Amino acid sequence: MTILTRLEQWKECGIISSEQHKLLAGLSRGEPFSLFLELNILLYAGILAFIAGLGWTINTWSQQLGDVVILTFLTAMLATCFWYCFSRAPAWSPGETPPPSLVFDYVLYLGSLTWSLELAYFETRFHLLSGQWDLYLLATAGLFFFLAYWFDNRFVLSLALSTLAGWFGLTISHWPSNQDAAYRQYAILYSLMVGGAGAALQRRGLKPHFFGTYLNIAANVLFWALLSGVFNREGYLIWLLCLVAACGASLAWGLKRRQFSFVAYAAVYGYVGVSAVLIRDMNDGTVVLSYFVFTGVAMLVMLVQIARRFGREA
Amino acid sequence: MRAYSASSEEALHARDLLKDWSGEGLLTAEQCHRLEQETVFELRRTNIFLRLALFAFTLIIVGAAVGLFFAVFLSHSGEQTTGIFLLIFAALSYAAAEIAVSRAKLYRYGIEEALAACSVGFLCVGMQIAFFGGVFSSPTSGGTGFLVPAAGAIVSLWIWHRFGLPYASLAAMIFVVWLPGYWTSSPSWQHLIVAAFYAAGLVTVAAVRPRHRFTHLNKEYSIAEALLWLGIYLAINLQLSSVNLLGRWWGGSRATNEFSGPFYWSTWILIWCLPPIALARGLRRKDRFVIAVGAIVAILTLATNKPYLGWPRHTWDPMLLGALLIGVALLVRRWLAKGPGEIRHGFTARRLSGKDKRWMNVGVATIGLVSPSIMTPSPETGSPDAHFGGGDSGGGGATSDF
Repeated sequence: MTILTRLEQWKECGIISSEQHKLLAGLSRGEPFSLFLELNILLYAGILAFIAGLGWTINTWSQQLGDVVILTFLTAMLATCFWYCFSRAPAWSPGETPPPSLVFDYVLYLGSLTWSLELAYFETRFHLLSGQWDLYLLATAGLFFFLAYWFDNRFVLSLALSTLAGWFGLTISHWPSNQDAAYRQYAILYSLMVGGAGAALQRRGLKPHFFGTYLNIAANVLFWALLSGVFNREGYLIWLLCLVAACGASLAWGLKRRQFSFVAYAAVYGYVGVSAVLIRDMNDGTVVLSYFVFTGVAMLVMLVQIARRFGREA
Repeated sequence: MRAYSASSEEALHARDLLKDWSGEGLLTAEQCHRLEQETVFELRRTNIFLRLALFAFTLIIVGAAVGLFFAVFLSHSGEQTTGIFLLIFAALSYAAAEIAVSRAKLYRYGIEEALAACSVGFLCVGMQIAFFGGVFSSPTSGGTGFLVPAAGAIVSLWIWHRFGLPYASLAAMIFVVWLPGYWTSSPSWQHLIVAAFYAAGLVTVAAVRPRHRFTHLNKEYSIAEALLWLGIYLAINLQLSSVNLLGRWWGGSRATNEFSGPFYWSTWILIWCLPPIALARGLRRKDRFVIAVGAIVAILTLATNKPYLGWPRHTWDPMLLGALLIGVALLVRRWLAKGPGEIRHGFTARRLSGKDKRWMNVGVATIGLVSPSIMTPSPETGSPDAHFGGGDSGGGGATSDF
């Protein structure tokens, strides 16, 4: 029985109206057929290709083109993008706001990327802040956060979060020694800060639909940082304990909120971390393989139980 | 022949549509609840994250169990014995997948998928070790070595047909890439043979599809057809050819000047002919996957045209490509929006499904983080004055690498 036959039956039984039947049967047949996703992907790919080409061209031909031409062009582009967005933006609301048009989000994204390009060019040419990239990145992250919240744009929110991560990374590059440990600490600090800020903003009702983006990024950065500590030859036990605690929290959160990506994070990161500690001194291949068989079965049983109890729907 | 009953899969398909329509407000919660009772199915499935985790852990268990068996019982065995036992494990894995489906009613659950994948892997490695002496022996013409990828392709196709796993058809296509290396050393013939296999597959799928147009199998055939279009394109585009890439991985690169002039220029003509054909077919059949492949191969043709002709690349080429993509998207959107009810020829730019929004959200979260590193490529050429170095890269594209 195809969906069209079912719809016919449901209409005859009076479960759906004739109008609903007409609409749903049309959708099932692809009438009309939506090109929404395809057009969005084309716009996104187009903007990325355009900015990549622009960056490459400026990089290669900056001497021939000259600062005035480049900065005028970039500034004009930036001003046009931001003028378009500010002049057409709907009234601000703390909740989810749909964009006024298909291209709106992409114009803002183009403007944000142009800003990054212009700022980078400006500093490399004129050294206004004597190469203090940290400050540029922090300011840019702040601007992107403002734009993301003002225009309700997840593209720019992702840029803001990655720019903030870049700021943490740049601070480490100035660290004189022991970079790995410092990197880990900064990564943990970043993830806690991002997760905490996301939770606080959600609690205040400020674009609460952004919370998922914050939490996923924070969780992955945190798990990577903790795993890097677990893989240390010395002093790894404290990191293992932290990893187990983080996995427990992730599992509890995932089950409570039915967000199964967090259950998967807990299972995979936790398994990798615990296994790395347990098998690091095992030299017998048979013992190692036995370990993987038994622990793998245990994990599988646990995940099947979780899937049966909580995660039935695709 | 199918592991699942048609009624179960159709009910599952209907349930997915109900969920989507309900999410879009096309059905009331009460209607949705009542209709869900009309679409009961016996299959057990789970969400994508648990599915991936279950797939990974099943692979670990099967791999470790087989490794343990060899370590305990066959640590000093010869190659042939190892190969034969791997063939036995292939059969056991496949049997376990069948049992997982028939008894436990698993459907896209990760476990049965991993078992089926293991069966293909063990079969190919086992055959290679048992009959052709070692995993790493390179393909030579004239022998029966082609039986290994042929068996891999056939079993992958069987798994695709039996379990409906879309990536099994992709696996079959990848196995086909290895086949011509056993039959001829001519790169041109290798390309032609691979393209001919894919074309034969495409004709078969195109012939079978119409009767499944509005059934649950439509999506499966759509993905297979799209992959075959992509495969044919990659086989004939000598700048990105899969045969060529695999040849490089296998050892020693092949230059495009090894191809004869007529063959080379024929493929150039074909890479311009294929995208409009694929796009036209996708649009005529309103097939999302074929439309996507048509668009991808069109972009690939634009991107590889200059190397094909031996013309130099320019730094502004990506800009022109980007402007073209943006322009096409805007023109299509505007043209559709001007139609009655924002619909023209059965197409609209409006979002009609909640799935589109979910895909967008996932895409933004993942690709949005990757994009900044893409947008500032390192320079191809440049004088010391034109290149400004120093600093470290950061997010948001604000790199100091100018």
